[in-house]
Amino acid sequence: MRWLQRHWDARAAANFTFGGAGSGLLVCSVLLQEPYAVALGLTLMAAGLGAVWLEIGRKLRAANVFFNPFTSWMSRESLAAVAVFACGLSFLVFREAVLLYGAALAAAAFLWCQARMLHAAKGIPAWRAPQTVPLIVATGLAEGTGLALLFSTDTAVLAAFALAVAARFLAWRRYRAAVASEALEAPGKALVWIGTVAALALFLLTPLAGLAALATGWWLKLALVTRASLNQGFSLPHLPVRGAR
Amino acid sequence: MTRWAMIADLRRCVGCQTCTAACRQANATPPGVQWRRVVDLELGEYPEVKRAFVPVGCMHCEDPPCMHVCPSTATRKRADGIVTIDYDLCIGCAYCAVACPYQARFKVDRQEFAYGGSTEDERENLHPDRIGVATKCTFCVDRIDAGLARGLTPGVDPEATPACVNSCIAKALHFGDAENPASNVSQLLAENQFFRMHEELGTGPGFYYLWDRRP
Amino acid sequence: MTQRVATYCYQCVAGPDLLTVKVCDGVATEVEPNFAAAAVHPGGGKVCVKAYGLVQKTYHPGRVLSPMKRTNPKKGRDEDPGFVPISWEEALGLVCQKLLSIREKGLLDESGYPRVAASFGGGGTPQSYMGSFPAFLAAWGPVDMGFGSGQGVKCYHSEHLYGELWHRGFTVSPDTPLTNYLISCGANVEASGGVAGVWRHAAARERGMKRVQVEPHLSVTGACSAEWVPIKPKTDAAFLYAIIHVLLHEQPRERLDREFLYRHTSSPYLVGAHGYYLRDPGHGTPIIAASLEARETHAALEIGADGEVLAEGRLEGETAFAKLLAHMKPYSPEWAQPVCDVPAATIRRIAGEYLNAARVSECIEIEGKKLPYRPVAISLGKTVTNGWGGFECCWARTLLAALVGALEVPGGILGTTVRLNRPMSERHRSVKADPDGLMAYPFNPTDRARWSAQPNIRNAYRTMVPLAADGPWSQALGPTHFSWMFLDETPPGLPRVTLPELWFLYRTNPAISFWDTAALENRMARFPFVVAFAFTRDETNHFADVLLPDASDLESLQLIRIGGSKYIEQFWDHEGFALRQPAIAPRGEARDFTDIATDLAARCGLTEQYNASINKGALGVPLKEFSIPEKSILKSEQVWDSVCRAASLELLGEAHGLDWWKEKGLATRPFPRTAWYLQPTLAAKGLRFEMPYQERLLRIGQELGRRLHENGMTWWDRQLAEYQALPAWKDFPGLWETAIGAAGGKTKDFPFWLLTSRSMQYAWGANVGMQLIKEVADNVAGHRGVILNTGKARELGIRDGEWLRIATPKAEVRARAVLRQGIRPDTLLLLGQFGHWATPTAKDFQMPSMNPLVPMSLELTDATGSGADVVRVSLRKAAVSAKETSS
Repeated sequence: MRWLQRHWDARAAANFTFGGAGSGLLVCSVLLQEPYAVALGLTLMAAGLGAVWLEIGRKLRAANVFFNPFTSWMSRESLAAVAVFACGLSFLVFREAVLLYGAALAAAAFLWCQARMLHAAKGIPAWRAPQTVPLIVATGLAEGTGLALLFSTDTAVLAAFALAVAARFLAWRRYRAAVASEALEAPGKALVWIGTVAALALFLLTPLAGLAALATGWWLKLALVTRASLNQGFSLPHLPVRGAR
Repeated sequence: MTRWAMIADLRRCVGCQTCTAACRQANATPPGVQWRRVVDLELGEYPEVKRAFVPVGCMHCEDPPCMHVCPSTATRKRADGIVTIDYDLCIGCAYCAVACPYQARFKVDRQEFAYGGSTEDERENLHPDRIGVATKCTFCVDRIDAGLARGLTPGVDPEATPACVNSCIAKALHFGDAENPASNVSQLLAENQFFRMHEELGTGPGFYYLWDRRP
Repeated sequence: MTQRVATYCYQCVAGPDLLTVKVCDGVATEVEPNFAAAAVHPGGGKVCVKAYGLVQKTYHPGRVLSPMKRTNPKKGRDEDPGFVPISWEEALGLVCQKLLSIREKGLLDESGYPRVAASFGGGGTPQSYMGSFPAFLAAWGPVDMGFGSGQGVKCYHSEHLYGELWHRGFTVSPDTPLTNYLISCGANVEASGGVAGVWRHAAARERGMKRVQVEPHLSVTGACSAEWVPIKPKTDAAFLYAIIHVLLHEQPRERLDREFLYRHTSSPYLVGAHGYYLRDPGHGTPIIAASLEARETHAALEIGADGEVLAEGRLEGETAFAKLLAHMKPYSPEWAQPVCDVPAATIRRIAGEYLNAARVSECIEIEGKKLPYRPVAISLGKTVTNGWGGFECCWARTLLAALVGALEVPGGILGTTVRLNRPMSERHRSVKADPDGLMAYPFNPTDRARWSAQPNIRNAYRTMVPLAADGPWSQALGPTHFSWMFLDETPPGLPRVTLPELWFLYRTNPAISFWDTAALENRMARFPFVVAFAFTRDETNHFADVLLPDASDLESLQLIRIGGSKYIEQFWDHEGFALRQPAIAPRGEARDFTDIATDLAARCGLTEQYNASINKGALGVPLKEFSIPEKSILKSEQVWDSVCRAASLELLGEAHGLDWWKEKGLATRPFPRTAWYLQPTLAAKGLRFEMPYQERLLRIGQELGRRLHENGMTWWDRQLAEYQALPAWKDFPGLWETAIGAAGGKTKDFPFWLLTSRSMQYAWGANVGMQLIKEVADNVAGHRGVILNTGKARELGIRDGEWLRIATPKAEVRARAVLRQGIRPDTLLLLGQFGHWATPTAKDFQMPSMNPLVPMSLELTDATGSGADVVRVSLRKAAVSAKETSS
């Protein structure tokens, strides 16, 4: 009785794709010190949150999302987002470094919350696997550093990209060993060959390598949210005894 | 302390969907929203095949994953074990729906009717507060509370009992207080072997499946 | 303002069951069990899933809510009838104009058939919804009620006739509360047994009753059974014969109930050389041997067909039981294994379990009476109890009960009610002696003096089927496909089958539910004037001339009998009456059926006869002092008020009117548990069960054969061969294989058995239009296509959900594949009876039926006039658009 969840569609996935890349970029922006990078990161995060806002059933009540930071990673993610925008927008206005660091820290928290959000979804085996958390964090950073390459090819940025992509590759391997999912086969292969191998082969030559890391990360997350999201169904540890043993 | 729980006797259930239909009607849920339904499971390979009918729905867990993930505190748990949704708080993010291991939660974005346009009976029971928000089996909490207020016993007196339990033509569904050792539910659990669905997930369901007598 | 209105549901033969309807501000909103009935109802006062669809049924936007007339004179599947709304005045005017012209011409046509025909579906259940319409039909005169839509011939037909013959069991049920071991050959009780069936079997399972389900697919019932035996279709007789063989030839004789066989069956009757009983020369009664298995010589007569003395003097005979022993010798489990595809060891084990559980010689106390206790039973399902092989299966089942004394005693098999024997309301009173010490049976005569080739109705039941008797139900229990078949070509000897001039239809849809539906449609299109009481448009009223909207289930008024023992598993400890009352006022211009009937009677000048019929008891109880004055024209409420008073007087000794009944909903008095069991009644009258030897049937078959041949009718000869005193196994599956050849195909090209099975959520009828029913039914496997074996599908490269083409040489249907493990690889299954093309909601199901594929065939009709829902088909992938889904 496997059931593919359809509540979180591409709009919800957009939160993870845009938001993951955007927050990853913001984390990396401490290396960039570049306002346009911050603006891009904030825009991406806003796009993701805006997309997911389009998906919720009661849009005018969106503010209720903050009510449960005690246990809900979605509440925490929303609070982190507030902090990201407070610091990030302030940075764009005032250009104080401490605001940039604040935004980067809040973005890291945002990314962490996203990963924990999926993990807390106990109904979907492909999400609740513990290996999901490092995977989501790593791909957010890989995508973000990939975008960072568009702004700077400093050694620090290049190193950050390489590390993030490698970490993502390892996280993907660990995840795949734990979770068998037909829907992730193709995106996973792309992530390995285009998003990791090709990206690492080319990143010193062209910033487009960063986009390879970005696109494959997005495809994976889109598939994870909308195609790999089967509920585990129902199972019977004991069959009923029908009248006679 | 009271802990409301439901029992499905898998030896008795024939998958007729009477409870599915009764729940749909009693709670006036929209088409396709089955707070209670019976799943038709087939196991094995021909000719060694088994088939079982399994009533499912919200398990009113002790440790509900839906409640933990809910960002608005719309999903809560009462002291008597019933997991509730405050439709007015819910933002309809469906996080609870993906957090639930039992496919128990529904969200519809638009009011829909059985035949396109609405019919008189549907207009009599509209629930606009349930559009765009999460909904699920409530153990017919309104009936329970109203019944208790009148001194009735949920699970014994029909007016105080969930509609699905009332409707079951195989006497497969039971409802009562699992904390009261003298209750119908406690007695059935004492006399029979049972399991709970996806026990390993640690949710502590308030829904028990009987499968055999105790030796 | 909220109120709860009590009523009953009798949408299928497993009822009636009781419910309440919640009404808020004049709108019906919710169905609930009638909890107040829990104490007396054998299903805890509950109603099944279908009843919950009644609210949607009431408010269905596709309902016909005003009378309609056809404006397009052409009739056909592709012809839009052009129905336009008209007034009741005009509608009834049209109908009665036709009726009056018929009265003028004469009620019978040139062939001697009634000019007016009426068809009702649902196995008799429409009678509980049609108010006083039966009184109108009775007042009218001869009506042909034999144009079938599937009832009887497609369903339990052999059990109806032979069950009534052998033990007053129009249908046969295990004594579920007491049975410990049940062999169920295709009886899908969890889907078809209704509330009482499910309620009782669930309790039995919990108590430890073992049910072995013998069926080609793992039905809902198979799922809930202890064991599933995937038998080859139409071979159940072989399986049962092998069990008989084990009991007779592999088990010590003392383990059988010899006492029961000797004293309570005709087993010790001596059979002569010609196959007839040896009879006392003085009294003419059969001579009883001194022991069960004996060969004796007596001064005797052996009398055959038409009273001919075949032998007289000192004649040697052996007991029927001795003949049985010899007859069953070849049918070992090893013989049965290749026939029915059940391992011999399994058959042997089941036979042993049956015998072990039988508790021969034990007793039980029921209401202070000591009765035999034999907690074993065998139940048979549809397609086992009809068509070729039905006789053999029913005989084998009844015999297996007799062998261990489990016939009509606690724990064993019980007849539920009678429809052919009378009185219908009192099964025990229908037990009357015949000269041979058996139960008398109202056979249609086969003697020269009284047999007639002039049938009273088109399906010729009185002429062709002696077992169909000649009561009010006999018409619908004859070969109801003959009425259709013979329209194009009446076989020699019968008067030419004519079209009825006026055809009433109610709660029936033969264009969906009968066989060879395409041909049926063409025939219906030729009916000159069809009056359909309509719920929504459907595939049959598509051919109607007038549609009349009767007030539906929750809008109309009727009182019916409940309780006692009735069909399927309705065994009550109470009996009485229940009221169906309006929960809301009829919607649109729908009218209470009783008012319609009264109006029709008045317009036809039949009010006196109509009232007389009501007074006599057409509505269930004779009115006596509450009789309607002969010329009165009363409203429905007044009519039923009188019925209510008469009923409550009969039941309780006090006359209570409609208002009292509206409040109570139902009323009952105790019904003795001992009345469930017929054996004590036979014993008290010194009568025996006619088992195993069917001397009467042998004689009747001979006589029928002679009459037919004297009349130049040789086309029933194959059926005559079924009249055997001890039925032999025949290659029943082979008959369906041969039929492929007759249809122009090669058997090997049509390798699959196509069957059908019950969908509890839909059966019967109008529920196909309910969105709620469709929605919940889809939770049960098989509702979205044709079920086939997963392994077989893999072999053929078929994926789940793929469109397939299922075909015979003459017709085809399309369905999506539903891959399941629980079905034989050589078998396909289409649940229910769909294939709708006109009924709202149902026409979008994309689910076909097997009915277009099954021919109406004389070759596949057995002696009782029934066929079966079995056909050999081919299976191929199909490229199909969404439009071409049903045939």
